[in-house]
This record gives sequence, C-alpha cells and structure tokens, in this order.
Amino acid sequence: MITKNIIDTYIEQIPPAPEALKKTISFLNAAELTKAAQAAQDDLALSSYLKELVNKPIFGFKNEVSNISQIFGILGVEKSQQAVYNYMITLLSPSKWKMFQLNRNSFYNLQADLSVNWQKILHHLNISDKEIHSAITLLPASILVAEALFCQKKEDVNLLRSASAIDLNTILQRLCAMDLFDICQAISQKWEMDAKIGVIVQAASGVKPADDEAINILGKWMHLLLFYTLSKPSYIEAGLNDFIDFQIDYVDDIYSEFAQVMERYLS
Amino acid sequence: MRAIVKNGVGVFHPQGFLDGNASGVSFLSIDDIHATVHSNADIILVSLKKVIFFNRNGLDTFVKMFLKVRSENHIIVGFCDYDKKKYEAIQKFYKDELTFSLFKTQEIATLFSSNFKNQSKNILLYSDDKSQRAALAIELHDNGHNPVVAQTKKEFDDKSKKEGAYDFIIDETYLGQIGQQVATRVTGNAIIYTLSTFLDAEIGNSFNIAYHNNSLNVGFRLFIFDAYKVVSMNVHALNFFSKLASSGAEYNATICFVGMTFEKTPIAFKETLEDAGIMFFDQMNDILENKELLDELGASSAAGAKTKRPLNKSIVSELPNFIDATVATIEMMTNSRASKEAAKVEEIDIKNKENKIASSIGFYGDIDGMVILVFPIDIAKKACELLIGESTDDKELILDTLAELVNIVGGKIKTLLSDEKINVDITLPRTYPDVDALLEIAQAKKGVQVDLLFNDEKFLFFLTR
Repeated sequence: MITKNIIDTYIEQIPPAPEALKKTISFLNAAELTKAAQAAQDDLALSSYLKELVNKPIFGFKNEVSNISQIFGILGVEKSQQAVYNYMITLLSPSKWKMFQLNRNSFYNLQADLSVNWQKILHHLNISDKEIHSAITLLPASILVAEALFCQKKEDVNLLRSASAIDLNTILQRLCAMDLFDICQAISQKWEMDAKIGVIVQAASGVKPADDEAINILGKWMHLLLFYTLSKPSYIEAGLNDFIDFQIDYVDDIYSEFAQVMERYLS
Repeated sequence: MRAIVKNGVGVFHPQGFLDGNASGVSFLSIDDIHATVHSNADIILVSLKKVIFFNRNGLDTFVKMFLKVRSENHIIVGFCDYDKKKYEAIQKFYKDELTFSLFKTQEIATLFSSNFKNQSKNILLYSDDKSQRAALAIELHDNGHNPVVAQTKKEFDDKSKKEGAYDFIIDETYLGQIGQQVATRVTGNAIIYTLSTFLDAEIGNSFNIAYHNNSLNVGFRLFIFDAYKVVSMNVHALNFFSKLASSGAEYNATICFVGMTFEKTPIAFKETLEDAGIMFFDQMNDILENKELLDELGASSAAGAKTKRPLNKSIVSELPNFIDATVATIEMMTNSRASKEAAKVEEIDIKNKENKIASSIGFYGDIDGMVILVFPIDIAKKACELLIGESTDDKELILDTLAELVNIVGGKIKTLLSDEKINVDITLPRTYPDVDALLEIAQAKKGVQVDLLFNDEKFLFFLTR
C-alpha cells in the first residue's frame, strides 16, 4: 500500500524553506522584529497568511490588524516565530483534501486552535523557551503527511479499518517501519528547525515517550491537547478523531491539571 | 464514524473528549446510524476505552442511536470498556432511564452474543442489584455458559481470588432492556435459535432473517428451534415457520423444533409444520447426542453434498475481479507482489495438506458463490502481520486475523463488482484450522482453482458455488 520508497520520495520532494522565511526566522531569533517584518513582507503569501491568522477570533483582537510590523509587535518574538513556522507547515498542505474533510480555512483554524491553547499550557507550566512555543506548529504536519500518503489509498484504508480498529500511524509503522511522526521530524530537519521541536513532536505521538523527562512531559501535554482539539465537532466531522490512536494511559497523570488549565481559560 | 463489526459485535471507538460541544452529533451522522441499523450485528457497543472525559450530552447521541437500533433490530446495545469511575458516572447520569446495557469489557459483552466462539465458559458474576444478578445469570445460561452467581460482595471477592477457577469474572456490568430478538447460538454445525413465550406476528421482526440466510449461504444445514419456553403459537407464526421451512428446502436445510408442547397451541399446527418439513423432538440431546441422526439431518458436514451447484457463466466472467480483489488485498497488507500463476476448472485439489490453513467467504445477491483461500501457515502469518502487528505462533489468533483478511477481500470484491453494477452482499468469513476441515465443505465441489504466488510461495484461490 505504502512503501518506504514512497515515503523517501515524499520527503525528497518537500521544497526547501523559502529564503524570505529563513531571513524572517533568523531576525526573529535575534529579536529584531522590524527587520523580521521587512523580510516577511517580501513574501506575499507569508504576509497575507499572518494577517489572516492573527485576525481569527481565537486571537481576540477587536480591530483588524494588517501591518506586519504591527502583527509582530503585538505577538512578540515567541508567537511571531510560531506564526511563521505555522505558515511554513501550510506550504505542505494539498490544494484539495481527499483523505480528511478539511480545507484551507479549517486547517488554519486547527493550527490557530492548537497554537493558542499551547500558549496557555506553556504559560501554566512557566515555560518561555521560544523553540518549545514553536514545537506545536509541527504537530499538524502529521495530518498533512497522513493526507499526502494515504489520499490515493482512501478506499483501501477504509476497507482495512472496517475490519480492524487500526490507526493510520500504526498502518504506516507496520508497513514501512516509519511513522507519521518520524516523517514530521524529517521535515523539521530539512527545514532546519530546532532539533528540540522534532523530539517534542515525537513524544507527542503518544507511542514513543522521550528519555528526557522534561521533553516527555511536554509530549504528554501536546498529545492530550491534540485530542482535546480533535474532539471538536468540526475535526471529528473531518475524520480526524481517529487518524492516530489516543494513548489515554500516557496522559493519565496530567489529565486533571490539563482540565483545570482549559477550564480556567473558558471561565 | 462507523462501527467495526467482528463476530457479530459492532463497536464504535470514539477518542478524546465526549462533551457537550455537540461532539456526539459529529461522531454519528444519519448515514452512520443507518449503516449501524443495517450492519446485522447482534450487539452494538460504544467503547469508552479511549474517552478521557464525557458528560451526559456527549453520551446522549450514542444513546439515541442505541434506542433506534434496538427498536429496529431488537439487539443488545450499550457502552463497554470503562473503569469504575466511568461506570458510576453513567449510572448517575441515567439513573432510572438506563435502558441500554453496560459491559465492563468488550470481551464480557461477547459472552452475551450468539457468536461462534466463547461457549461453555465458567463465569463468576456479581452485581449488587439482585434482579441484575438473576438477569445476567439467565442470559449467560441461555447462551450456553455456566454462570456462578456470588450473592455477596465478600463471596465475590473471595471466589475471584481463586486463580484459574473461572474463564471470566463479571462485575460492574448492567443488562439494560434486552432486545427481544430470537437468540442464536452455534453448536458444531447446527444453529440453535431460542424461542420463548408467545409466538405471533412479531416473530417476523425479532427473527434475524439476514443472519439465517447468511448461515444457509455459509453452509449450515441444520437449524434447531429451542422451544421449551414457548407457551403458544398463533397462525401468523405458523405461516412464518412454514415459509422459513420451504425457503430452506432449496438448500436442503432441516428445521427442528425441540421441547414444543401443544397444550395451548392447536395440534393441527404441528401437522401443518410437519407437512412443511419441520421435525419435532422432545429433548435437545435427542438430536445433539445422536450422531447418526445428526448426519442424517445434514449437520455432519456444514455443506450438504446435495447442494452442488455448477459454476455459471456470469460468475466465471467476473473471475478477474475476484482474483484482483484477492491479489490487491494481499499486496495492500504486505507491500509485496502477489501474482497469478495457473488457473483451471476442477474439483479443489490441494497437494501437501500439511501446515495449511484456509478461510472462506460467501457472497450472494446478483450472483452468488464462495471464495476459498488456502495458505501455508507461514504465508498466512505474513499476510496478517499488518493486522496483528507482531510475529506470533498463536494459531487461533492467526485464524482470527485470517478471517479479517478474508473479510477485507470480500469487501473489495463487493466494491469491484458494484463498479460493474453487480450488487452482492458478503457472508461472515469462516476459517478452517486444517485442510481436512475445509474439505468437509469443499470436497467434490467444482470451481475455478487459481494458484497464486506470493513471495515465491504458492497459495490457492478457489471460486465455487
């Protein structure tokens, strides 16, 4: 169905990160927001993405924000880097979704939902490392990879899954000894994202806990956040609820704390 | 979201948070509910194993689906795979409205189904509700198990500590309204239906005719109605059974009634039924322990030799579809090439019967027949690796998984044929632990035999009717 060769070709075909993006990120890393905004403006797709993203209701701005320097200024370094990384991930999204019932807008919403809640979690955990803030951006790449690899095999997958409760990650792992999160990590390496980002997302798969306990805890929070998000009606309808297996035992020890964090922001 | 139906048990696997954000509605579309109603499952369950949080709103959509499915199909519906906390929460949410069932695990639920496995198990059970204890025990007994009821929590705790004394231990389980469907169980090659109380026009709804037809298609020939608990029968039920007998005659099937008394039923009904070919016995053991009689009634081999039906043109012309479905499935599951070697029309011919297992699936509708696959056990293992996930020598597990594989082949056949506007339904898959078991059914049947190659090893495809 899917072979290691297909995966290798997929990774090979991922384009390198555009120059303007690299520049934007390196200026953001140096905390030079104005220069970063100038670099971002050179990439029209990036600047329009940033405008669209920050004006989503979940960011809660009353007036429309349209100037990139203004956007970076409001977001600050961590969130700006996160937003740029989110944009990078969208470069992988298909023009037409086949496996999952998503579209450009709903995928952006998913990114925004994850990002905003991840900020809340990191605030609660008292973590300000901007690479950890950005790690969440790689998580939806697992959905994009699943879409890309399985879209031609949708019927086969459905047939297989009508006979056995088997998730896409396990199918890939058993067929190719490589799973969706390995591919996400390979993408992050190709795009020269910080190594920590790939490692956290691997732990967030729920099936490959990290040796480093600090990373492992982040992985647990991210895994639970993913399923909290994928339990929303629109993502269930998109067919995302069971694209990978939810590891309930893995997140058991942080569940009540997670519920408190989410509730606090709801009330 | 669709239920995965296996051995007559359909299970939904929602994940994450089942809360009030209308998420329940998103899990089940109208189409999903429709598909569930038509799934022919004996039990429909929603597994809470991967649900970390739920509230009443979240469960309500599933409960509504339960009620719809039960009112149409008369089957058991409920939740399973929960811990004590979740069990208590559901009890609290629904209190007096708890009309569906709760099974601590999916495995426990299957004890209440009429599937092919899990029979004659020793089961320790406890519930703090006395009437539940009795209901659970009666149902388990009806399904051919040996329930032991603990009367107190202490007795339950003491007994459950005895290692190996019981095959299953049941607590935190609740039987809601049991559908009034005619219970079914399989003994050897006979199918036993349990009837009770008054038989009237309702029998047409509560008898799972699709299951019965599937059983005929799969090759069952002896059907026994356990009628000890029947009080009386009216003319509508009489008509129903007469029709059932005549439709089964085409397959040379035998229908027996056991333990039926005619105190409150006109004796003339018995004569009418006998004229339709139905036989009457006083005791179940009169049949089950009389091997000669069983042979005579067609239960010794699951397919009577009299049912030999020739292959016809319409089915042979679809042969490429059948082969494609098989090859595509094996390739999908293994990422290896499978290819066709030689094809011939003849009786099934298996050289070297050692270390081979087989499986079959029937199809019926616009065309009908049966696909049989015979694998060397090592090849079967390889083909099932994707579903099992690890290398195993557990033959039962391999057979079980092979059934899933054949089910997928059947599904694929169904899809390929429907592309050509040929509509078929598939039966339950069957597996055979050795070639002799297969030959009981397939010997002397003519069909198309195709040798297929997989990783340079042969396996056999046989299409017959």
